[in-house]
Amino acid sequence: MSDTPEMPRRGPLLMPRSLAFVWINLALALIVAAIGFGLGFAQGVGAQLVILYTIISVAVLFGLLNYVAVILESRAAARAPAAEAGRAPLDEPAGARSVWMGNRVLIVSMLLLLFVYLLVTASVPSFRTVTNLIAFLVLEAILLFAFKVSGAFAHGRSAFIGLIVLGALIVVSSFTIDGFLSGANIKAILLFASFLGIACIGQTLVALLGGLDLSIPFVIGAANIGLLYLIGLGVPAGVAFGMVLLIGAGLGFLNGILSYRLQGQALILTLGMGFAVAGLVQILTSIGSSFSGNVFGTVPPWLQNLAAMNGQFFGLAVPPTILLWIALAIIVIVALRYTANGRYIYALGGNRRSAQLIGVSELKYWTLAYTLSGFFAALTGSLLLGWSGGGFIGVGDQYLFTTLAAVVIGGTSLSGGYGGYGFTVIGVLVLQVLSAFLIGIGLKYEWQQFIFGLLILPMVALYGRAPHIRAQV
Amino acid sequence: MSGTRGSQNVYLLVPMLLIAVLLGIAVIRGPHLVSYSGFGSAIIVAAPLMLATYALMALAIAGRGTVDLAVGPLLAFINVSVVKLNMLGIITSPFAVFAVALGIGVAYQLLFVLMILWVRVQPIIVALSGFLALTGINLVILPRPGGVAPDWMSSWGLGTSILSPILVILVIATGGWLLFTLSSFYGNLRMMGYDERAAYTSGVRIEIVRVGAHVIAGLFVGLAAICYTALIASGDPTQGTTMSLTAVTAVVLGGVSLSGGRGGVIGAALGAINLFLIGYVLATFNFGSVQAFVTQLFYGLILILSLLLTLLVPIIGRYLYFITPYSAFVVLGCIVAGIMLKMSAEDAHQAALVMATTGSEGELTSRYLLLPGTGAGGGLIHFTMTALQKQLLGFAAAAALLVFTLRMTIAEAISVRFGVFMYVFVSSLILMLFILVGDLSLARVRP
Repeated sequence: MSDTPEMPRRGPLLMPRSLAFVWINLALALIVAAIGFGLGFAQGVGAQLVILYTIISVAVLFGLLNYVAVILESRAAARAPAAEAGRAPLDEPAGARSVWMGNRVLIVSMLLLLFVYLLVTASVPSFRTVTNLIAFLVLEAILLFAFKVSGAFAHGRSAFIGLIVLGALIVVSSFTIDGFLSGANIKAILLFASFLGIACIGQTLVALLGGLDLSIPFVIGAANIGLLYLIGLGVPAGVAFGMVLLIGAGLGFLNGILSYRLQGQALILTLGMGFAVAGLVQILTSIGSSFSGNVFGTVPPWLQNLAAMNGQFFGLAVPPTILLWIALAIIVIVALRYTANGRYIYALGGNRRSAQLIGVSELKYWTLAYTLSGFFAALTGSLLLGWSGGGFIGVGDQYLFTTLAAVVIGGTSLSGGYGGYGFTVIGVLVLQVLSAFLIGIGLKYEWQQFIFGLLILPMVALYGRAPHIRAQV
Repeated sequence: MSGTRGSQNVYLLVPMLLIAVLLGIAVIRGPHLVSYSGFGSAIIVAAPLMLATYALMALAIAGRGTVDLAVGPLLAFINVSVVKLNMLGIITSPFAVFAVALGIGVAYQLLFVLMILWVRVQPIIVALSGFLALTGINLVILPRPGGVAPDWMSSWGLGTSILSPILVILVIATGGWLLFTLSSFYGNLRMMGYDERAAYTSGVRIEIVRVGAHVIAGLFVGLAAICYTALIASGDPTQGTTMSLTAVTAVVLGGVSLSGGRGGVIGAALGAINLFLIGYVLATFNFGSVQAFVTQLFYGLILILSLLLTLLVPIIGRYLYFITPYSAFVVLGCIVAGIMLKMSAEDAHQAALVMATTGSEGELTSRYLLLPGTGAGGGLIHFTMTALQKQLLGFAAAAALLVFTLRMTIAEAISVRFGVFMYVFVSSLILMLFILVGDLSLARVRP
């Protein structure tokens, strides 16, 4: 850890110009490393491992902090008038007021967090653990990062924040929960992430066009019991699977056609459609059955293998659903970024009128997005049948808002034109890791939901703010 | 609804037509509806939905696509909070319960609007966040349906008479909004909802107006939660989602524009009553174990259809300009009243055949007119006319009604403004028809 302060220019090592920054960064890195060092010994990890991890973490943290400092410096320098171009950013006592004015939201929110932490610590004795302290520090760091750094990343700012949150979550969880980084747990997280991720493909596409699809959970539930019902009727499982996917796509198509003229109310219309579909499928499946709403039958082994935790993929002990999700994610990301159709979706979401003027059919892409949404919802429902082994209409209920939350947390704008499936993947992973963390520390589903709800707002507030009305006139 | 021109209220035509059809079917399928306890319990069951719909309506008028999906969970949150506080013995008195319920509603909505105004996040995201958070916390407060409502509330949910405290709450809420529409604040609110930039540039303090709309919505949600608590007399954390979806459907059905600027308490009330009637009618058909699914299917379909109908409304307005909501109200009101009387008269006919006494007269008047029984022939209305006189009177009333309807149709078509007087006059005419036909049928039975 040699800190060679290259005073005049920043070299390849990305050293900030101001010496104070270097020392602050070094101190921060060492403090964090010391905490980790102590914790490592407290948990009884081997001494060599602890030392290795400490050195690595100091190096990484120091490099990261320096990088951030360099970016901050260069921005400050670019913004400052030419006469003051050479001054260091932090050494101006007269600027205390301007620092406050520039960072009041950050300062207030950090103080608020500190206050909450102190309050809880003071009132709940069992809360006073080192891991909670670390979690608190990490949260403060996230806030600082998110506010101060993300501005430098004009594009992909939300992805940057999402990745930081994801990293912080993984660090905190692996500190707090035994076996969090075990193979089985990661596999489970990925499996649930792939269900959510597949369901989110359609939501992302629709959101890129400025719409919303709330029929997804109902289609998932309907596909779930519908597929089992068809199999129970004696339809070959493969054919039934195809039929369910086709019907799902058809429902999506209907959504798209009906909501085309009512784009402002697509949210409500798809909700009504979902309601109707769920009701209809339940009526159909309960005719001649004494168990209303529940369908019984045997799921074919290949479908179980596709989605169950102990699924195999050509000998690999990975459920094929995860690989399917990865493949789909790559296809969707590439298609959105590099194909003409993908770019047209962005064009339409960004500005309807100009897209139409260059000859992009709005109706076509609008219905296409909804059709794909219905298709992937049906696919998720079918895969969930393989996972659970029994049909249940309520299996999709939690996807009503988690698909939206994943899209929003990832950073795709709900008014269209900005974002992408890559962002949504980050959002999905954040949600699933957070969920696993909350389960790991023993919180019930209700608390998870509460925390999810509260999480969405600050995430969106960091990057999804609308301009003030006076800027829109 | 300061209905200056009939064409502005053309959105009320659809819910009005639907309500007439549904009410007709409801009366035919379940004649019990037309009675003291029938109307009483109907009001109590429909009240929470109506008030929740009012709340959504106030927000929808404010524009920016504000559909507060969290209205149901918020209602359930207030419900379980009140029940929990009551069970803990902290807050039991009526005043305190009202203060807590309204306070929570307003506090939540203030938080909501601050998020929109200061953090500048889209309303739908705030609503989504609130939905998740409230749904979660409701189950924490009260893990499963249970608990007891405050003692003084126990008699509210019986529904044995029409004049229950719930009705008073409903009337106050509706009247309060109608009074509010007279203020210039309401004008600003509609203007902001219709075009926020125009409102801003013409000097409207849009922040204050928006906060005002949310405060009103919070009050409505608080009242809705009180009615809901009185209805179920316990706490239920699970019904929030259904209530949200139903209330959204009712708002759309009631002709409130989700893009802002258009809507009113009459439409919202009509929409909510429609949804209640759909549930009532469907309940009279016995679907057995799939009852809940059929209801779900119909709610979904009605939501879609009513949304699609809003596309047709401009066309209706163009070609059917001579039909105004007022005239539709008169015509449909007469038809429905006729159906009601027919059904009830058949009942009375059979009852009279069985009993063959004069007691049925009092029963009949109390049945149709929801008036106290008049005893044997005396009292409220002079029943001692000859058959000829009665017939003459009936023809005269019918002719007056016809003339009046035509006259009003013409007047409405050329956009002459009518006031409250017309409503009173029309309702009294319909009431007269009630009395006459009821009396005639009674006269047929008695010999």
